[in-house]
Amino acid sequence: MAETLVIANADAVLARARTGDPQAMEALYRAFEMPVYNLARRICRTAEDAEDVLQETFFELCRSIGQFRGEGSLWGWIRTIASSKALMRLRRNKYRDTDELEDEISPTRKEDAHLRMDLESALDRLGETSRAVVWLHDVEGYTHEEIAEMMGKTVSFSKSQLARAHVRLRRWLGEEAAI
Amino acid sequence: MNHLSMEQLVSLRGPGTEPGTAEARRHVETCELCRDELDRLHQRVARMKALPNLQPPRDAWPVIRRRLADDRHRRRTRWMGIAGTALAASILLAVVVSDISRPDTLSATAAIDTAKAQSRALESTIDRYNPEARVTDGRTARIAAELEDRIADLDRQLEVTQMREGQARDQQLLQLWRERVNLLDALVDVHVTKASNVGL
Repeated sequence: MAETLVIANADAVLARARTGDPQAMEALYRAFEMPVYNLARRICRTAEDAEDVLQETFFELCRSIGQFRGEGSLWGWIRTIASSKALMRLRRNKYRDTDELEDEISPTRKEDAHLRMDLESALDRLGETSRAVVWLHDVEGYTHEEIAEMMGKTVSFSKSQLARAHVRLRRWLGEEAAI
Repeated sequence: MNHLSMEQLVSLRGPGTEPGTAEARRHVETCELCRDELDRLHQRVARMKALPNLQPPRDAWPVIRRRLADDRHRRRTRWMGIAGTALAASILLAVVVSDISRPDTLSATAAIDTAKAQSRALESTIDRYNPEARVTDGRTARIAAELEDRIADLDRQLEVTQMREGQARDQQLLQLWRERVNLLDALVDVHVTKASNVGL
């Protein structure tokens, strides 16, 4: 998705942004605002939180653009900042993982058998941590090692969260197999 | 072998180097149910990747730009405090070691008042122009910032000089005020002509 984003005269824009040129910084914002917001919105619970993450990401990006040496892709660098900000927001808000609570109360809820959500709703229903892991791993392409490092957790934690997320998604999407 | 767990199915999408993965792969080849489950997993991930991009409800750039400007101002002010202290020390040292000629006090005072009035007029011009509210190119912004830094430097020097006593004070103040007028004049020029002929 964002990997294919192209900015006209990307090198020149980056060079100007490093000197503090506000127009170049705005050009970077315009090029990457949507993938950054999308990533933030998929991880955060509310649109307001995602907007805050968007702001924080580009504020930090503009302040530290001089540190980007072009060793990896620009989007890769921006995405790491955005992911880190989004996860920080989750930790700050200390959302309750509602699906985990529900599982504790009723591991096999009867209504789930008849439940068939669309994918957006099912993702939205996942707990914060599970959703963050599934999005970062399956969509953004982070490894479990990278996710574990960003979250301050273990690799096993990331793997188990991913598996649990898929079990739930499968159930909520009505894809239960006869296994 | 039993059917694969979700964790095993998920790990099959990876590089396949983990213990047990080879056995799980062999199982999938022979078990239709697990193969279907793995297909559904692949399809689910593909559908997630294909979800439409969500767009921010409003333009966040004006807020980010303001925050960056505030941050820049804060950092510059902090730096100016350090630089100003060093500057004050060097000026005091210079006063001790130098023999400054006596100024014509009365004419210096009048000239200072004139320079102050010019300075105020130029500042009013810049305020009316309101450069903070305008979009500017990078070169103009850099030159304007440099001029503002130098003006801030001068203000610090003026404060220090104002507190001094002695015959040389008025002459130094006059020199600083005139330099301030020149810098403000250049700043007006930068904002109005977009730095085309400043020659900095």
